[in-house]
Amino acid sequence: MAGAVAALAARESGERVVLARRAPGATGLSGGAISVAHDPAAIATTPWAARAGVVESARRIAATVPGHPYDVLRDRLDRLWNAVEFATGQLSGLLAPPTGRNRWLLTPFGRAHPVATCQESMVAGDLAEVRGVLAVVAPRGHLWWDAGLVASGAVRARPLGAPEVRVVPLDLFMWEDAALARPFDLARMLEAPGAAEQVGAMLRERLPRFAAAALFPPVLGLDPAARVAERVSAAAGVPVAEFLSDLPSVPGLRLQRALEARLAEAGVDVLVGDVHDATGPGAPARVGGREVAAASWVLASGRYVGGGIARRGALLEPVLGLPVLASEGAFAEADARLAARAPGALTVRDSRAAQPLLAAGLKVDPELHPLDAEGRVIHDRLFAAGAVVGGHDQASDGTGMGVAIFTGWLAGRAAARAVPA
Amino acid sequence: MSTRLGALSYLAWRALAVQPLKRASGHGTGRERFLAAYAAEGLEPTTPEDRAAAEAASACIGCGLCESGCRLAGVAPSLRDLGLHAIFRLYSKSAPGLLQARDGLDACAGCTGCEPLCPTGVPISRLVRWFQGRAAGWLDGGRA
Repeated sequence: MAGAVAALAARESGERVVLARRAPGATGLSGGAISVAHDPAAIATTPWAARAGVVESARRIAATVPGHPYDVLRDRLDRLWNAVEFATGQLSGLLAPPTGRNRWLLTPFGRAHPVATCQESMVAGDLAEVRGVLAVVAPRGHLWWDAGLVASGAVRARPLGAPEVRVVPLDLFMWEDAALARPFDLARMLEAPGAAEQVGAMLRERLPRFAAAALFPPVLGLDPAARVAERVSAAAGVPVAEFLSDLPSVPGLRLQRALEARLAEAGVDVLVGDVHDATGPGAPARVGGREVAAASWVLASGRYVGGGIARRGALLEPVLGLPVLASEGAFAEADARLAARAPGALTVRDSRAAQPLLAAGLKVDPELHPLDAEGRVIHDRLFAAGAVVGGHDQASDGTGMGVAIFTGWLAGRAAARAVPA
Repeated sequence: MSTRLGALSYLAWRALAVQPLKRASGHGTGRERFLAAYAAEGLEPTTPEDRAAAEAASACIGCGLCESGCRLAGVAPSLRDLGLHAIFRLYSKSAPGLLQARDGLDACAGCTGCEPLCPTGVPISRLVRWFQGRAAGWLDGGRA
Protein backbone atom coordinates (compact mmCIF):
# COMPACT_ATOMS: atom_id res chain seq x y z
CA MET A 1 0.00 0.00 0.00
CA ALA A 2 2.75 2.47 0.98
CA GLY A 3 4.68 1.79 -2.23
CA ALA A 4 1.61 2.17 -4.42
CA VAL A 5 0.56 5.43 -2.71
CA ALA A 6 4.14 6.77 -2.99
CA ALA A 7 4.26 5.84 -6.69
CA LEU A 8 0.88 7.49 -7.38
CA ALA A 9 1.82 10.63 -5.41
CA ALA A 10 5.14 10.95 -7.28
CA ARG A 11 3.40 10.32 -10.58
CA GLU A 12 0.90 13.06 -9.82
CA SER A 13 3.86 15.42 -9.46
CA GLY A 14 4.68 14.64 -13.09
CA GLU A 15 7.74 12.43 -12.62
CA ARG A 16 8.42 9.13 -14.37
CA VAL A 17 7.93 6.40 -11.76
CA VAL A 18 9.12 2.80 -11.66
CA LEU A 19 7.65 0.56 -8.99
CA ALA A 20 9.89 -2.48 -8.38
CA ARG A 21 8.34 -5.27 -6.40
CA ARG A 22 9.40 -8.74 -5.38
CA ALA A 23 5.85 -9.85 -4.46
CA PRO A 24 2.51 -8.11 -3.89
CA GLY A 25 3.10 -7.71 -0.12
CA ALA A 26 0.57 -7.49 2.67
CA THR A 27 -2.15 -5.44 0.92
CA GLY A 28 -4.07 -8.57 -0.12
CA LEU A 29 -4.29 -9.56 3.56
CA SER A 30 -6.44 -6.50 4.29
CA GLY A 31 -9.80 -7.20 5.89
CA GLY A 32 -11.40 -4.50 3.76
CA ALA A 33 -10.95 -1.42 5.92
CA ILE A 34 -8.46 1.44 6.20
CA SER A 35 -7.54 1.91 9.87
CA VAL A 36 -5.70 5.19 10.47
CA ALA A 37 -5.97 5.94 14.20
CA HIS A 38 -8.38 5.38 17.06
CA ASP A 39 -8.51 7.39 20.22
CA PRO A 40 -5.88 6.15 22.72
CA ALA A 41 -7.42 8.33 25.44
CA ALA A 42 -10.81 6.55 25.27
CA ILE A 43 -11.54 3.81 27.78
CA ALA A 44 -13.65 0.77 26.94
CA THR A 45 -16.87 2.42 28.14
CA THR A 46 -16.42 5.76 26.32
CA PRO A 47 -19.38 6.09 23.91
CA TRP A 48 -18.31 6.22 20.27
CA ALA A 49 -19.86 9.64 19.81
CA ALA A 50 -17.59 11.04 22.54
CA ARG A 51 -14.37 9.74 21.00
CA ALA A 52 -11.88 11.84 19.08
CA GLY A 53 -11.96 11.99 15.28
CA VAL A 54 -9.29 10.32 13.15
CA VAL A 55 -6.73 13.14 12.94
CA GLU A 56 -7.12 14.12 16.61
CA SER A 57 -6.64 10.44 17.53
CA ALA A 58 -3.40 10.40 15.50
CA ARG A 59 -2.23 13.51 17.40
CA ARG A 60 -2.97 11.75 20.69
CA ILE A 61 -0.99 8.68 19.56
CA ALA A 62 1.89 10.99 18.59
CA ALA A 63 1.79 12.48 22.08
CA THR A 64 1.70 9.15 23.92
CA VAL A 65 3.75 6.66 21.86
CA PRO A 66 7.35 7.94 21.50
CA GLY A 67 8.99 6.91 18.24
CA HIS A 68 5.70 5.99 16.52
CA PRO A 69 5.75 7.28 12.91
CA TYR A 70 2.96 9.71 13.88
CA ASP A 71 5.28 11.03 16.63
CA VAL A 72 8.19 11.38 14.19
CA LEU A 73 5.84 13.24 11.80
CA ARG A 74 3.94 15.13 14.54
CA ASP A 75 4.61 18.55 12.98
CA ARG A 76 3.14 17.34 9.68
CA LEU A 77 0.00 15.63 11.01
CA ASP A 78 -2.10 18.50 9.65
CA ARG A 79 -1.50 16.88 6.24
CA LEU A 80 -2.63 13.39 7.37
CA TRP A 81 -6.14 14.03 6.14
CA ASN A 82 -4.87 15.16 2.71
CA ALA A 83 -3.04 11.84 2.42
CA VAL A 84 -6.11 9.80 3.38
CA GLU A 85 -8.27 11.73 0.91
CA PHE A 86 -5.63 11.26 -1.78
CA ALA A 87 -5.57 7.48 -1.30
CA THR A 88 -9.35 7.10 -1.14
CA GLY A 89 -9.68 9.36 -4.19
CA GLN A 90 -7.25 7.19 -6.15
CA LEU A 91 -9.39 4.14 -5.33
CA SER A 92 -12.73 5.91 -5.56
CA GLY A 93 -14.58 3.01 -7.20
CA LEU A 94 -13.73 0.77 -4.26
CA LEU A 95 -13.25 2.88 -1.13
CA ALA A 96 -15.91 5.09 0.40
CA PRO A 97 -15.04 8.76 1.04
CA PRO A 98 -13.84 9.19 4.66
CA THR A 99 -15.94 11.31 7.01
CA GLY A 100 -13.36 12.39 9.59
CA ARG A 101 -14.71 10.20 12.37
CA ASN A 102 -14.14 6.48 12.77
CA ARG A 103 -16.71 4.06 11.43
CA TRP A 104 -17.35 1.00 13.61
CA LEU A 105 -17.44 -2.27 11.67
CA LEU A 106 -17.88 -5.83 12.93
CA THR A 107 -15.12 -8.42 12.53
CA PRO A 108 -15.77 -12.15 11.93
CA PHE A 109 -14.68 -12.69 15.55
CA GLY A 110 -17.32 -10.49 17.15
CA ARG A 111 -15.48 -7.24 17.78
CA ALA A 112 -16.44 -3.73 16.72
CA HIS A 113 -13.42 -2.28 14.95
CA PRO A 114 -12.81 1.45 14.30
CA VAL A 115 -11.83 2.35 10.72
CA ALA A 116 -11.24 5.69 8.98
CA THR A 117 -12.78 4.36 5.82
CA CYS A 118 -13.70 1.07 4.22
CA GLN A 119 -14.89 -0.45 0.98
CA GLU A 120 -18.20 0.91 -0.35
CA SER A 121 -19.76 -2.51 0.20
CA MET A 122 -19.19 -2.14 3.98
CA VAL A 123 -20.45 1.38 4.66
CA ALA A 124 -24.02 0.36 5.54
CA GLY A 125 -22.62 -1.84 8.33
CA ASP A 126 -21.28 1.13 10.32
CA LEU A 127 -22.68 0.31 13.77
CA ALA A 128 -22.68 3.97 14.80
CA GLU A 129 -25.00 4.88 11.94
CA VAL A 130 -27.55 2.03 11.80
CA ARG A 131 -30.88 3.42 13.05
CA GLY A 132 -33.00 0.37 13.76
CA VAL A 133 -32.32 -3.37 13.86
CA LEU A 134 -29.23 -4.78 12.17
CA ALA A 135 -29.86 -8.21 10.60
CA VAL A 136 -26.74 -10.44 10.58
CA VAL A 137 -27.17 -13.07 7.85
CA ALA A 138 -26.16 -16.65 8.70
CA PRO A 139 -25.73 -18.74 5.52
CA ARG A 140 -27.09 -22.19 6.43
CA GLY A 141 -25.06 -24.03 3.82
CA HIS A 142 -21.59 -22.87 4.83
CA LEU A 143 -19.33 -23.54 7.78
CA TRP A 144 -16.93 -20.61 7.47
CA TRP A 145 -18.62 -17.85 9.51
CA ASP A 146 -20.41 -17.88 12.85
CA ALA A 147 -23.10 -15.21 12.56
CA GLY A 148 -23.86 -15.46 16.29
CA LEU A 149 -20.24 -14.65 17.11
CA VAL A 150 -20.26 -11.73 14.66
CA ALA A 151 -23.47 -10.37 16.18
CA SER A 152 -22.11 -10.69 19.73
CA GLY A 153 -19.71 -7.83 18.95
CA ALA A 154 -22.65 -5.49 18.45
CA VAL A 155 -24.49 -6.82 21.52
CA ARG A 156 -21.50 -5.98 23.74
CA ALA A 157 -21.18 -2.56 22.11
CA ARG A 158 -24.85 -1.60 22.68
CA PRO A 159 -23.97 0.90 25.48
CA LEU A 160 -21.41 2.56 23.19
CA GLY A 161 -23.85 3.28 20.37
CA ALA A 162 -24.34 -0.03 18.51
CA PRO A 163 -27.83 -0.95 17.26
CA GLU A 164 -29.95 -3.95 18.23
CA VAL A 165 -28.97 -7.05 16.22
CA ARG A 166 -30.81 -10.17 15.04
CA VAL A 167 -29.25 -13.25 13.44
CA VAL A 168 -31.19 -14.20 10.30
CA PRO A 169 -30.51 -17.72 8.95
CA LEU A 170 -30.87 -17.90 5.16
CA ASP A 171 -30.78 -20.95 2.88
CA LEU A 172 -27.65 -19.72 1.14
CA PHE A 173 -24.93 -21.86 -0.45
CA MET A 174 -27.02 -25.00 -0.05
CA TRP A 175 -25.65 -27.02 -2.97
CA GLU A 176 -23.63 -30.20 -2.53
CA ASP A 177 -20.08 -29.66 -1.18
CA ALA A 178 -20.74 -25.94 -0.72
CA ALA A 179 -19.84 -26.14 2.95
CA LEU A 180 -16.18 -26.34 1.94
CA ALA A 181 -16.28 -23.90 -0.98
CA ARG A 182 -13.69 -21.15 -0.67
CA PRO A 183 -14.72 -17.51 -0.21
CA PHE A 184 -13.48 -16.68 -3.72
CA ASP A 185 -15.78 -19.35 -5.20
CA LEU A 186 -18.76 -17.94 -3.28
CA ALA A 187 -17.92 -14.37 -4.36
CA ARG A 188 -17.76 -15.35 -8.04
CA MET A 189 -21.01 -17.27 -7.72
CA LEU A 190 -22.83 -14.21 -6.35
CA GLU A 191 -21.64 -12.12 -9.31
CA ALA A 192 -23.63 -14.28 -11.76
CA PRO A 193 -26.73 -12.63 -13.31
CA GLY A 194 -29.73 -13.20 -11.06
CA ALA A 195 -27.77 -14.66 -8.11
CA ALA A 196 -27.59 -11.47 -6.04
CA GLU A 197 -31.26 -10.69 -6.78
CA GLN A 198 -32.24 -14.18 -5.59
CA VAL A 199 -30.34 -13.69 -2.33
CA GLY A 200 -32.00 -10.29 -1.87
CA ALA A 201 -35.47 -11.75 -2.41
CA MET A 202 -34.73 -14.49 0.12
CA LEU A 203 -33.60 -11.91 2.66
CA ARG A 204 -36.68 -9.74 2.09
CA GLU A 205 -38.93 -12.60 3.28
CA ARG A 206 -36.93 -13.16 6.46
CA LEU A 207 -36.13 -9.58 7.52
CA PRO A 208 -36.92 -8.85 11.19
CA ARG A 209 -39.26 -5.93 12.06
CA PHE A 210 -37.64 -2.50 12.00
CA ALA A 211 -34.64 -3.86 10.09
CA ALA A 212 -32.49 -0.92 9.01
CA ALA A 213 -29.61 -2.82 7.39
CA ALA A 214 -28.38 -6.36 6.75
CA LEU A 215 -24.86 -7.66 7.24
CA PHE A 216 -23.42 -10.45 5.05
CA PRO A 217 -20.16 -12.41 5.13
CA PRO A 218 -17.50 -10.59 3.05
CA VAL A 219 -18.11 -12.48 -0.20
CA LEU A 220 -20.35 -10.00 -2.05
CA GLY A 221 -18.50 -10.29 -5.37
CA LEU A 222 -14.81 -10.12 -6.33
CA ASP A 223 -15.29 -7.36 -8.88
CA PRO A 224 -16.77 -4.10 -7.50
CA ALA A 225 -18.20 -3.44 -10.98
CA ALA A 226 -20.56 -6.41 -10.46
CA ARG A 227 -22.25 -4.27 -7.74
CA VAL A 228 -23.36 -7.35 -5.80
CA ALA A 229 -24.10 -5.49 -2.53
CA GLU A 230 -26.25 -2.92 -4.38
CA ARG A 231 -28.15 -5.63 -6.26
CA VAL A 232 -28.86 -7.60 -3.07
CA SER A 233 -29.92 -4.35 -1.40
CA ALA A 234 -32.30 -3.39 -4.22
CA ALA A 235 -33.99 -6.79 -4.08
CA ALA A 236 -34.16 -6.92 -0.27
CA GLY A 237 -35.35 -3.35 0.26
CA VAL A 238 -32.75 -2.52 2.96
CA PRO A 239 -29.13 -1.32 2.78
CA VAL A 240 -26.76 -4.30 2.67
CA ALA A 241 -23.15 -4.48 3.84
CA GLU A 242 -20.34 -6.97 4.41
CA PHE A 243 -18.56 -7.37 7.73
CA LEU A 244 -14.74 -7.28 7.80
CA SER A 245 -12.88 -10.30 6.46
CA ASP A 246 -10.65 -12.97 7.89
CA LEU A 247 -8.14 -14.72 5.59
CA PRO A 248 -8.40 -15.60 2.77
CA SER A 249 -9.84 -12.18 2.13
CA VAL A 250 -12.07 -11.33 -0.81
CA PRO A 251 -11.98 -7.60 0.13
CA GLY A 252 -8.17 -7.82 0.36
CA LEU A 253 -7.99 -9.17 -3.17
CA ARG A 254 -10.32 -6.41 -4.36
CA LEU A 255 -8.01 -3.80 -2.81
CA GLN A 256 -4.94 -5.40 -4.39
CA ARG A 257 -6.58 -5.47 -7.82
CA ALA A 258 -7.84 -1.90 -7.54
CA LEU A 259 -4.34 -0.65 -6.67
CA GLU A 260 -2.81 -2.52 -9.59
CA ALA A 261 -5.43 -1.17 -11.99
CA ARG A 262 -4.87 2.39 -10.72
CA LEU A 263 -1.06 2.08 -11.06
CA ALA A 264 -1.45 0.94 -14.67
CA GLU A 265 -3.95 3.72 -15.42
CA ALA A 266 -1.66 6.36 -13.90
CA GLY A 267 1.25 5.21 -16.07
CA VAL A 268 3.47 3.80 -13.31
CA ASP A 269 5.95 1.28 -14.71
CA VAL A 270 5.68 -1.86 -12.53
CA LEU A 271 8.67 -4.24 -12.59
CA VAL A 272 8.41 -7.62 -10.86
CA GLY A 273 11.48 -9.34 -9.44
CA ASP A 274 14.11 -9.21 -6.73
CA VAL A 275 16.21 -6.05 -6.55
CA HIS A 276 19.92 -6.80 -7.00
CA ASP A 277 23.10 -4.73 -6.92
CA ALA A 278 21.31 -1.78 -5.33
CA THR A 279 23.54 0.86 -3.82
CA GLY A 280 21.11 3.77 -3.56
CA PRO A 281 19.66 6.70 -5.54
CA GLY A 282 21.46 7.69 -8.72
CA ALA A 283 23.23 4.35 -9.22
CA PRO A 284 21.75 1.58 -11.40
CA ALA A 285 20.14 -1.50 -9.83
CA ARG A 286 18.87 -4.66 -11.49
CA VAL A 287 15.18 -5.56 -11.09
CA GLY A 288 13.91 -8.78 -12.65
CA GLY A 289 16.61 -8.72 -15.35
CA ARG A 290 16.24 -5.01 -16.19
CA GLU A 291 18.54 -2.22 -15.16
CA VAL A 292 16.94 0.78 -13.48
CA ALA A 293 18.61 4.02 -12.47
CA ALA A 294 16.41 6.41 -10.48
CA ALA A 295 17.39 9.84 -9.17
CA SER A 296 15.41 9.36 -5.95
CA TRP A 297 14.14 6.27 -4.19
CA VAL A 298 11.31 5.42 -1.84
CA LEU A 299 11.94 2.19 0.04
CA ALA A 300 8.48 0.77 0.81
CA SER A 301 9.36 -2.89 1.03
CA GLY A 302 7.12 -3.78 3.97
CA ARG A 303 8.18 -5.69 7.05
CA TYR A 304 8.14 -9.49 7.39
CA VAL A 305 5.39 -10.41 4.91
CA GLY A 306 6.71 -8.08 2.21
CA GLY A 307 10.34 -9.02 2.91
CA GLY A 308 11.48 -5.46 3.75
CA ILE A 309 12.89 -6.73 7.04
CA ALA A 310 14.33 -10.25 6.98
CA ARG A 311 15.39 -12.57 9.77
CA ARG A 312 18.70 -14.25 9.02
CA GLY A 313 20.31 -14.84 12.38
CA ALA A 314 19.53 -11.21 13.21
CA LEU A 315 17.17 -8.67 11.64
CA LEU A 316 18.39 -6.99 8.46
CA GLU A 317 17.14 -4.82 5.62
CA PRO A 318 18.03 -6.87 2.52
CA VAL A 319 17.84 -4.33 -0.34
CA LEU A 320 20.34 -1.68 0.78
CA GLY A 321 21.62 -3.16 4.05
CA LEU A 322 20.25 -0.24 6.12
CA PRO A 323 20.44 -0.54 9.93
CA VAL A 324 17.36 -2.10 11.56
CA LEU A 325 16.41 -0.93 15.01
CA ALA A 326 14.28 -2.51 17.71
CA SER A 327 13.58 -1.30 21.20
CA GLU A 328 11.85 -2.62 24.28
CA GLY A 329 10.67 0.83 25.24
CA ALA A 330 10.38 4.06 23.36
CA PHE A 331 11.53 3.60 19.78
CA ALA A 332 12.80 7.18 19.86
CA GLU A 333 15.61 6.21 22.25
CA ALA A 334 19.02 6.52 20.69
CA ASP A 335 20.14 3.11 21.93
CA ALA A 336 17.38 1.15 20.21
CA ARG A 337 19.81 -1.51 19.06
CA LEU A 338 18.12 -4.73 20.16
CA ALA A 339 17.80 -5.76 16.49
CA ALA A 340 21.31 -7.24 16.61
CA ARG A 341 19.90 -9.97 18.85
CA ALA A 342 18.42 -13.19 17.52
CA PRO A 343 14.72 -12.59 16.63
CA GLY A 344 13.66 -15.13 19.26
CA ALA A 345 15.04 -12.81 21.95
CA LEU A 346 12.82 -9.94 20.75
CA THR A 347 9.52 -11.26 22.01
CA VAL A 348 8.28 -10.92 25.57
CA ARG A 349 6.18 -13.42 27.45
CA ASP A 350 3.22 -11.16 28.17
CA SER A 351 1.26 -11.37 24.92
CA ARG A 352 -0.46 -8.03 25.61
CA ALA A 353 2.83 -6.20 26.12
CA ALA A 354 4.57 -4.37 23.27
CA GLN A 355 6.71 -6.84 21.33
CA PRO A 356 10.05 -5.41 20.12
CA LEU A 357 10.11 -7.87 17.20
CA LEU A 358 6.79 -6.59 15.85
CA ALA A 359 7.84 -2.92 15.94
CA ALA A 360 11.35 -3.39 14.52
CA GLY A 361 12.27 -1.47 11.41
CA LEU A 362 14.13 1.52 10.03
CA LYS A 363 14.43 4.73 11.98
CA VAL A 364 13.58 7.85 9.97
CA ASP A 365 13.76 11.63 10.39
CA PRO A 366 10.70 13.90 9.92
CA GLU A 367 11.49 14.07 6.18
CA LEU A 368 11.31 10.22 6.08
CA HIS A 369 15.02 9.82 5.32
CA PRO A 370 16.30 6.55 6.83
CA LEU A 371 18.94 7.14 9.50
CA ASP A 372 22.13 5.21 10.13
CA ALA A 373 23.07 3.77 13.54
CA GLU A 374 24.44 7.16 14.63
CA GLY A 375 21.25 8.99 13.64
CA ARG A 376 22.62 10.61 10.47
CA VAL A 377 20.72 10.83 7.14
CA ILE A 378 22.03 8.11 4.81
CA HIS A 379 21.18 9.82 1.51
CA ASP A 380 19.12 12.94 0.91
CA ARG A 381 17.23 11.37 -2.03
CA LEU A 382 16.43 8.12 -0.23
CA PHE A 383 13.10 7.93 1.61
CA ALA A 384 11.28 5.15 3.50
CA ALA A 385 7.55 4.55 3.83
CA GLY A 386 5.12 2.03 5.28
CA ALA A 387 5.85 -0.98 7.45
CA VAL A 388 9.60 -0.94 6.76
CA VAL A 389 9.60 2.11 9.06
CA GLY A 390 9.77 0.86 12.64
CA GLY A 391 8.30 2.09 15.90
CA HIS A 392 4.78 0.79 15.36
CA ASP A 393 3.21 -2.65 15.34
CA GLN A 394 1.20 -2.22 12.18
CA ALA A 395 -0.75 -5.44 12.56
CA SER A 396 -2.26 -4.65 15.94
CA ASP A 397 -2.06 -0.96 16.88
CA GLY A 398 -4.77 0.17 14.46
CA THR A 399 -2.54 2.56 12.51
CA GLY A 400 -1.07 0.23 9.86
CA MET A 401 -2.89 1.48 6.78
CA GLY A 402 -2.80 5.07 8.04
CA VAL A 403 0.98 4.99 8.43
CA ALA A 404 1.33 3.34 5.01
CA ILE A 405 -0.83 5.98 3.32
CA PHE A 406 0.61 8.99 5.19
CA THR A 407 4.29 8.04 4.85
CA GLY A 408 3.75 6.82 1.27
CA TRP A 409 2.10 10.09 0.24
CA LEU A 410 4.74 12.26 1.95
CA ALA A 411 7.67 10.16 0.69
CA GLY A 412 6.35 9.98 -2.88
CA ARG A 413 5.94 13.76 -3.08
CA ALA A 414 9.30 14.39 -1.41
CA ALA A 415 11.04 11.94 -3.77
CA ALA A 416 9.52 13.72 -6.78
CA ARG A 417 10.66 17.12 -5.45
CA ALA A 418 14.16 15.76 -4.83
CA VAL A 419 14.69 14.77 -8.49
CA PRO A 420 17.36 17.15 -9.88
CA ALA A 421 15.98 19.38 -12.64
CA MET B 1 28.48 -33.67 38.81
CA SER B 2 28.94 -37.42 38.68
CA THR B 3 25.86 -37.71 36.42
CA ARG B 4 27.37 -35.19 34.01
CA LEU B 5 30.70 -37.00 34.06
CA GLY B 6 28.92 -40.27 33.40
CA ALA B 7 27.05 -38.82 30.45
CA LEU B 8 30.18 -37.31 28.94
CA SER B 9 32.08 -40.58 29.38
CA TYR B 10 29.29 -42.45 27.63
CA LEU B 11 29.32 -39.98 24.72
CA ALA B 12 33.11 -40.26 24.47
CA TRP B 13 32.84 -44.07 24.47
CA ARG B 14 30.26 -43.93 21.65
CA ALA B 15 32.25 -41.42 19.59
CA LEU B 16 35.72 -42.91 20.05
CA ALA B 17 35.04 -46.62 20.21
CA VAL B 18 31.55 -47.74 19.14
CA GLN B 19 31.01 -45.51 16.07
CA PRO B 20 34.48 -46.11 14.50
CA LEU B 21 34.05 -49.84 15.05
CA LYS B 22 30.62 -49.80 13.43
CA ARG B 23 31.94 -47.84 10.48
CA ALA B 24 34.89 -50.21 10.11
CA SER B 25 32.69 -53.28 10.26
CA GLY B 26 31.17 -52.19 6.90
CA HIS B 27 27.46 -51.70 7.47
CA GLY B 28 27.21 -49.44 4.40
CA THR B 29 27.20 -45.65 3.94
CA GLY B 30 25.48 -43.22 6.24
CA ARG B 31 22.58 -42.94 3.79
CA GLU B 32 22.18 -46.72 3.61
CA ARG B 33 22.22 -47.06 7.39
CA PHE B 34 19.68 -44.21 7.69
CA LEU B 35 17.41 -45.93 5.21
CA ALA B 36 17.81 -49.28 6.96
CA ALA B 37 16.69 -47.66 10.20
CA TYR B 38 13.95 -45.29 8.99
CA ALA B 39 12.74 -46.32 5.52
CA ALA B 40 9.99 -48.39 7.11
CA GLU B 41 8.58 -45.18 8.59
CA GLY B 42 8.61 -43.48 5.20
CA LEU B 43 11.47 -41.14 6.08
CA GLU B 44 14.35 -40.24 3.79
CA PRO B 45 17.53 -38.31 4.56
CA THR B 46 17.14 -34.66 3.60
CA THR B 47 19.36 -33.31 0.85
CA PRO B 48 20.60 -29.71 0.40
CA GLU B 49 17.87 -29.34 -2.29
CA ASP B 50 15.27 -30.48 0.25
CA ARG B 51 16.42 -27.85 2.68
CA ALA B 52 16.36 -25.12 -0.01
CA ALA B 53 12.81 -26.11 -0.97
CA ALA B 54 11.72 -26.23 2.66
CA GLU B 55 13.12 -22.75 3.25
CA ALA B 56 11.33 -21.35 0.19
CA ALA B 57 8.08 -23.06 1.22
CA SER B 58 8.42 -21.79 4.81
CA ALA B 59 7.67 -18.26 3.57
CA CYS B 60 4.04 -19.43 3.09
CA ILE B 61 1.82 -17.78 5.70
CA GLY B 62 -1.29 -19.77 4.76
CA CYS B 63 -3.30 -16.68 3.76
CA GLY B 64 -5.06 -18.49 0.92
CA LEU B 65 -4.81 -15.64 -1.60
CA CYS B 66 -3.25 -18.07 -4.11
CA GLU B 67 -6.55 -19.97 -4.27
CA SER B 68 -8.26 -17.08 -5.99
CA GLY B 69 -5.97 -17.51 -9.00
CA CYS B 70 -6.18 -21.32 -9.08
CA ARG B 71 -7.81 -22.28 -12.37
CA LEU B 72 -8.00 -25.92 -11.29
CA ALA B 73 -9.66 -25.32 -7.95
CA GLY B 74 -13.06 -25.91 -9.53
CA VAL B 75 -12.17 -29.31 -10.93
CA ALA B 76 -9.76 -30.92 -8.46
CA PRO B 77 -11.53 -31.57 -5.14
CA SER B 78 -8.25 -32.41 -3.40
CA LEU B 79 -7.01 -28.90 -4.14
CA ARG B 80 -10.26 -27.13 -3.46
CA ASP B 81 -10.83 -28.73 -0.10
CA LEU B 82 -7.30 -28.36 1.26
CA GLY B 83 -6.08 -25.33 -0.61
CA LEU B 84 -2.73 -25.28 -2.37
CA HIS B 85 -0.94 -23.90 0.66
CA ALA B 86 -1.93 -27.09 2.52
CA ILE B 87 0.73 -28.88 0.48
CA PHE B 88 3.43 -26.71 2.00
CA ARG B 89 2.08 -27.23 5.49
CA LEU B 90 1.69 -30.96 4.91
CA TYR B 91 5.29 -31.16 3.78
CA SER B 92 6.65 -29.12 6.65
CA LYS B 93 4.90 -31.35 9.19
CA SER B 94 5.85 -34.67 7.66
CA ALA B 95 7.65 -35.28 4.38
CA PRO B 96 5.84 -38.60 3.69
CA GLY B 97 2.57 -36.62 3.90
CA LEU B 98 3.48 -35.33 0.44
CA LEU B 99 2.12 -38.54 -1.05
CA GLN B 100 -1.37 -37.55 0.07
CA ALA B 101 -1.06 -34.36 -1.97
CA ARG B 102 0.12 -36.16 -5.09
CA ASP B 103 -3.18 -35.86 -6.98
CA GLY B 104 -3.28 -32.19 -6.19
CA LEU B 105 0.28 -31.69 -7.37
CA ASP B 106 -0.38 -33.53 -10.63
CA ALA B 107 -3.52 -31.49 -11.27
CA CYS B 108 -1.78 -28.23 -10.50
CA ALA B 109 1.48 -28.41 -12.45
CA GLY B 110 1.24 -26.26 -15.55
CA CYS B 111 -1.11 -23.56 -14.25
CA THR B 112 0.76 -20.61 -12.76
CA GLY B 113 -2.25 -18.46 -11.85
CA CYS B 114 -1.32 -18.47 -8.15
CA GLU B 115 2.25 -17.30 -8.24
CA PRO B 116 1.79 -13.57 -8.88
CA LEU B 117 -0.73 -13.44 -6.01
CA CYS B 118 1.51 -14.71 -3.21
CA PRO B 119 2.14 -11.81 -0.80
CA THR B 120 5.44 -13.24 0.43
CA GLY B 121 6.74 -14.27 -3.00
CA VAL B 122 6.87 -18.06 -2.57
CA PRO B 123 8.08 -19.47 -5.94
CA ILE B 124 5.00 -21.69 -6.09
CA SER B 125 5.27 -23.25 -9.56
CA ARG B 126 8.96 -24.09 -9.09
CA LEU B 127 8.14 -25.72 -5.74
CA VAL B 128 5.19 -27.63 -7.14
CA ARG B 129 7.41 -29.12 -9.84
CA TRP B 130 10.01 -30.00 -7.21
CA PHE B 131 7.41 -31.56 -4.87
CA GLN B 132 6.01 -33.52 -7.80
CA GLY B 133 9.42 -34.98 -8.56
CA ARG B 134 9.94 -35.77 -4.89
CA ALA B 135 6.60 -37.56 -4.59
CA ALA B 136 7.23 -39.52 -7.81
CA GLY B 137 10.71 -40.49 -6.60
CA TRP B 138 9.20 -41.86 -3.41
CA LEU B 139 6.79 -44.08 -5.26
CA ASP B 140 9.41 -45.30 -7.72
CA GLY B 141 11.66 -46.10 -4.78
CA GLY B 142 9.10 -48.81 -3.97
CA ARG B 143 8.52 -47.63 -0.43
CA ALA B 144 5.00 -46.27 -0.75
